[in-house]
Amino acid sequence: MTALSARLPARRDRYTILPLTYLVAIVILGVTIVPLLFVFVDGFRTTGDISNSPTGLPHPWVWANYGSILTTAPFWEFLGNSALIATVATVLAVAFGSMAAFALSRYVFRCREALFTLFVSGLLFPIGVAALPLYLLLERVGLLDNQFGVALPEAAFALPMTMFILRPFMRAIPGELEDAAMVDGAGKLRFFVQILLPLAKPAMVTVTLLSFVTSWNQYLLPLLVFTTSSHFTLPLGVATYQSQYSQNTGAILAFTALAAVPALGVFMFAERYLVAGAAGAVKG
Amino acid sequence: MARSTTADATVRKKIELTILLAPALVLFVGFVLLPIVIAAYYSLFNWTGYGPLSDFVGMRNYTFAFGDPVFVQAIEHTLILTVLALVVQGPLSLGIALLLNRKFRGRGFLRLIIFAPYVLPPAVTAVMWSLMLYPGGFVDQLLKSVGLGGLIQEWLANLHIVLYTNFVVLTWQYIGFGIVLLLAGLQGIPVELKEAAAIDGATPWQVTRRVTIPLLAPTIRIWVFITVIGSLQVFDVVWILTGGGPANASTTMATYMFLDGFRSLEFGYGTAIAVILFAFCFVFSLVYQRFALRRDTAGALTRAVG
Amino acid sequence: MRSRRACAAVALAVATATAVAACSSGSSSSSSTSTSTGASSSSSPSASTAAKVTLTWWNNATAQPLLGVWQSVIKSFEATHPNITIQNVPIQNEQFTTKIPLALQSGSPPDIYQQWGGGQEATQVTSGKLTNLTSSVSSWIGELGSAAAGWQVKGQQYGVPFDLHVVGFWYRKDLFATAGITSPPTTIAQLESDDAKLKAKGIAPIAIGSKDRWPDAFYWEYFAVRECPSATIKTAMTSVSLTPACFTKASADLTAFLKTNPFQAAFLGTPAQQGAGSSAGLVANGKAAMELQGDWDPSVMAGVTTNKKLSSELGWFPFPAVTGAQGDATAVLGGGDGMSCTTGAAEPACAEFLQYLDSTPVQEQLIKVASPGLPANPAAVSAISLPAEQTAAAADKAASYVATYFDTAMPTQPGQNLDNAVANFFAGQGSSTAIISSVTGPA
Repeated sequence: MTALSARLPARRDRYTILPLTYLVAIVILGVTIVPLLFVFVDGFRTTGDISNSPTGLPHPWVWANYGSILTTAPFWEFLGNSALIATVATVLAVAFGSMAAFALSRYVFRCREALFTLFVSGLLFPIGVAALPLYLLLERVGLLDNQFGVALPEAAFALPMTMFILRPFMRAIPGELEDAAMVDGAGKLRFFVQILLPLAKPAMVTVTLLSFVTSWNQYLLPLLVFTTSSHFTLPLGVATYQSQYSQNTGAILAFTALAAVPALGVFMFAERYLVAGAAGAVKG
Repeated sequence: MARSTTADATVRKKIELTILLAPALVLFVGFVLLPIVIAAYYSLFNWTGYGPLSDFVGMRNYTFAFGDPVFVQAIEHTLILTVLALVVQGPLSLGIALLLNRKFRGRGFLRLIIFAPYVLPPAVTAVMWSLMLYPGGFVDQLLKSVGLGGLIQEWLANLHIVLYTNFVVLTWQYIGFGIVLLLAGLQGIPVELKEAAAIDGATPWQVTRRVTIPLLAPTIRIWVFITVIGSLQVFDVVWILTGGGPANASTTMATYMFLDGFRSLEFGYGTAIAVILFAFCFVFSLVYQRFALRRDTAGALTRAVG
Repeated sequence: MRSRRACAAVALAVATATAVAACSSGSSSSSSTSTSTGASSSSSPSASTAAKVTLTWWNNATAQPLLGVWQSVIKSFEATHPNITIQNVPIQNEQFTTKIPLALQSGSPPDIYQQWGGGQEATQVTSGKLTNLTSSVSSWIGELGSAAAGWQVKGQQYGVPFDLHVVGFWYRKDLFATAGITSPPTTIAQLESDDAKLKAKGIAPIAIGSKDRWPDAFYWEYFAVRECPSATIKTAMTSVSLTPACFTKASADLTAFLKTNPFQAAFLGTPAQQGAGSSAGLVANGKAAMELQGDWDPSVMAGVTTNKKLSSELGWFPFPAVTGAQGDATAVLGGGDGMSCTTGAAEPACAEFLQYLDSTPVQEQLIKVASPGLPANPAAVSAISLPAEQTAAAADKAASYVATYFDTAMPTQPGQNLDNAVANFFAGQGSSTAIISSVTGPA
């Protein structure tokens, strides 16, 4: 808060919440949370229970579903694979993507717009189209049944979105800051790393989150690349689990709920940075 | 002195550009562009995926597609979903983001909850909603309990409704993404501007309307772009919820591509559909970039960057 | 402006260069220079008693008990063939149909993999990667009877079945009793009147998983089998054409049958096998009385219910006769699961393994423990324990012939078109003639 706002009357000083806002918040909460609760709570039920009363509470409470998943190795294997792949894909996508976005936003050069359009065109088709040629390509370079065979294409497909979001944010950082850095003797690259990136934090966090979640939920690519089940990621694992436990709906939902936890954890962690934000980027 | 500095600067700029752009370019060309171009090449053939590419048919896959009433219907459905996404999810995301940008107790928790559906794999979302939408399931029971029993339909079986059922589920799944994006944009708006407006006597609502939303425009434009592209390509949820059915009542271009292309072992036809889908997206992208994305606040407040 | 056009040209050049690079490096890679990714090894020409051999085996047994059966079968085979190692790679059924075309396209497909014969197998044969097993299996294939023909392509054996399936009505004897139905219907007219009796008691007569589309096809195909003589059916499958008038009659039969509204509410959105709300689940949980399904249905049902009494409550009756039809009233619709060897697999090791799968002891073990359906080897039929399944097996034996489900008998593309057209018809879209015309001539 600046000294200026400290002198304002209290009424205008804080954004007071209207009761209407709270009401809306509750409705939204309800609509969003109910299906989520279903997934979570139904993990404690047997299939027969679920079929008898689709919307009731567990009766009896079955701890075995969650218990058996958490205590058997495959779940943690799948978790580890998903985490590794998502991390690698996200780091690559965000690192390379932010570098490229910087180049495309704060340098002036010929073919800049054409290049940006080329990258953005990567957004314009679903990854499934590229599946067959990608598979053959991966086979040729020997990346099949290999985590990098999934992480690298995922990073590549995440680049367009990353750059598309980052470029406008980077562009909006005022040129005066760059001038000031130049005067201080810092080169453009130093400006990028030490000043621009921290300022673009909300956008960086957003693209990190998006890349991570997209990679985490990716199903088709791991399906094509992996044959050894110990390499499977969580979504593949859910599908395998689903068939191994026939149609034990409760167990599948438990597995799914657990599979979503890490991604939610990443979000919670990132959320703090979203809140911190770049308010006050321009100070007198 | 000035001349050598300029020459140095140019060389330095080229080196910097290369360092910055090369990794992304290599990754992108190798794993995205190359496979896509190859796939587009397949679209000129009639190919089951087995054996060599031998049956060259030129543009026949494309002409067949546009002559297929099911595909035309799929295009219609896709466009309907896209327009609905803009018109319904837009104001909703914006309103919720504005709400969540204020400080109040439980804000962090609420943000987490709203984002959570986006984190769920679409397969699970679809399964969950199927359970809730069965006749006599949760949705029906809820409607009955608030006296709206007359509104009950066969959500997943009624040919006229099934597309809109998909839309509701899609909104539930993807709205969190839009909200997070808009929140990021809101964080970038300098507090000083809002305070200045408040000093000038604006009410919080006026501050929102006259200051916040216009400054949020670049982010909103990004959101529109991503939403349109995403809606044009929508597949996962629709496929698992209704499979594009019943009787093609909820097909999208992507489900059509999968069902009539890849599932039927018509890879040439399937990739032709993908190319058509790409063309839709590309045209939109070009037009949008030209008219909408060029403007942003840089230059209005500060030195333009270029 | 000039620079922009130049840039567009540059971008285009990049794309074109990429394209040229891509195409020149071989568009369809049946190249043999690919690196091995843990797949098959050398193919020794001499007898299998010589060098060490590893075979990768792709099957869809990701779940118990079949998973355990295969594992024990592998163990016992390896015990008698010490130089052969079999690597079991179970892949979920839905994923199978995605991965197989890719694998057959690549340089290292699995050595042994599961497939369902018919026109689908014929399509796979065009990849050039399937081994012609005719001579290797000639000594024992006769034991399997006419079923083996389903895995032949142009008279050559490219695969071997290990279990068979037959489609019929699975029904709840207790629910029939409640509705006052004393014995299963033998004609369509009787079926329709039984449906009315069940409806009067508030029981959904027939459950169907229309969302998945293929269950719908069973109905039309059975009407076709009832209306058309076997020769007509056979010709139709090989020539991929449904022009004979009896097929139009089948559509008319279906139309009349659908008018009686025999299915559960909102059947268009019901899946066939997933969860308690599936058609299998509805019968298993007593919410519907019948389902026209393959003989895998009991094991599917077992997975979606806690009803322990199901096996005693379940019965089976064949698809009823159509009064006045020209086709065969005892013919059944069916299929099966089989295995194929790919050309990279070591022979005769692969063929020996397939023979082992069809040997009587293994077949009996398969049926006893996993009950995936009917055994391919008729000698093992006595191992079936579920009474309803025994009824099905008897009908299969007594059938004048077994018609393979049309979407498997025909190549994939027309097969899928047929399924889609029938499903649309069930939803009230598309005319009955659309079903006939959905199947175009060979591509």
